[in-house]
Amino acid sequence: MNLKLIQTTGILLSIVYAFFIVWLYWTEPKTVAEISTKATVTVGAYEINQAKFDEGLRLFRTENYRAARENFNQADSEKRDAKTQFYTAYSFYREGWGRTWNDDNLFRQGVETANRVVSLDPNFKSDDADLKLKTAVELKTELEQGIERSWDDINPLKVLRERK
Amino acid sequence: MNIRERNLAVWRFLLLPLIFLTVALLGGLRVGAERQNFIFIPPPLVCLILASLLMLLFLRGRLVFFGDWISHDFPLLTNAANAITLLTLFFASAQALNSVLPESGFLFWLFSFFFLWTLWNNLFSEFDAKRLLRSLAVLFGTAFLLKHLILAAFAAPEESGWYKLINYIFEGIPRTVLGIPNFAPATGYISFFALALYVLGLVSLPFAATEPIQENEKVRRIEGEIVNLPAPHEQLNSLDSGVKNLDSKETNSTLDSRLKIQD
Repeated sequence: MNLKLIQTTGILLSIVYAFFIVWLYWTEPKTVAEISTKATVTVGAYEINQAKFDEGLRLFRTENYRAARENFNQADSEKRDAKTQFYTAYSFYREGWGRTWNDDNLFRQGVETANRVVSLDPNFKSDDADLKLKTAVELKTELEQGIERSWDDINPLKVLRERK
Repeated sequence: MNIRERNLAVWRFLLLPLIFLTVALLGGLRVGAERQNFIFIPPPLVCLILASLLMLLFLRGRLVFFGDWISHDFPLLTNAANAITLLTLFFASAQALNSVLPESGFLFWLFSFFFLWTLWNNLFSEFDAKRLLRSLAVLFGTAFLLKHLILAAFAAPEESGWYKLINYIFEGIPRTVLGIPNFAPATGYISFFALALYVLGLVSLPFAATEPIQENEKVRRIEGEIVNLPAPHEQLNSLDSGVKNLDSKETNSTLDSRLKIQD
């Protein structure tokens, strides 16, 4: 092993190790398992857990929204998949919707998640026939309108409106 | 390249940067008390300032003899490798400090102030590498004990003796003001390991230099003279021949003198 080889190896190893450390501090994984998940995100090989997503979707259709969200979170732990996040936001909307009043807390979380969908994929459009709001922007607008306070809130005809 | 040179090169260009980078990795790592999750705390600005002071101190204390690391006489690759090692030393220093400083609150600023005070004073003191290392070991050791034993006792179960004692000392001062860390005991072990590695790296710095730090010129000259000395048997031979020469000269001289006297 000559000197130049040792020096070159040292420089390369140091640079790679330094990048790894910076990456760790940047992504802040909380467990060893999360390190590998975040690594797949970094290299662009991230995929959602399809089984968990399907289970979440089944629960979503049976209107068990909390359990559905739990499954969606497990399916997309890194919150990188626009479709899963859209369903999560929709579950906040449907759970928080009320004929007389809405749950503002759930609606706010819905807005936050809908914003995430827009940032992940601004052109996202759902192909689910069961959903009346097809895009993240529509969903976000609906959620924001639900939070806003207006004279329309005391309109008795409001009880006739439908959940989308 | 003989074995000694190769081992020194491996230590200096491969292992030393990796040791310092490991310190940089572990220095900001904490383990949460409740969920046992990793918490990565990047070095605050004050740690970078203190690390800069430490680097100056290393230069002044001759722990790092700059000319042995970066020089016009070295090839580009050697200079680059050495520069990386010194850079890793800087970040390891910052993270070693990060490891022993409380994360926030009044105690963070108190600890930072004492570090700043001590390092600033040390900058104007007469130091050699050995004394500097001792001083730093004591400084880091004290800070480690204060943070990971005394302050960590606040995070201990309420019925423990430590908790009662520390609570008695700091009675009436809210935890949030003090900035008491609430981490799992594993954090202390990680910090200890990081500091041990840091000290190991520092201790090995003088030996890792391209030209080992010693009384350079004098020692080298004496070494050269010793090497050039003839072997013992050659010395004896030369002594014998010298004695014989003297004898022959003496006999010659006595004969001459006798002849002169006769004349």
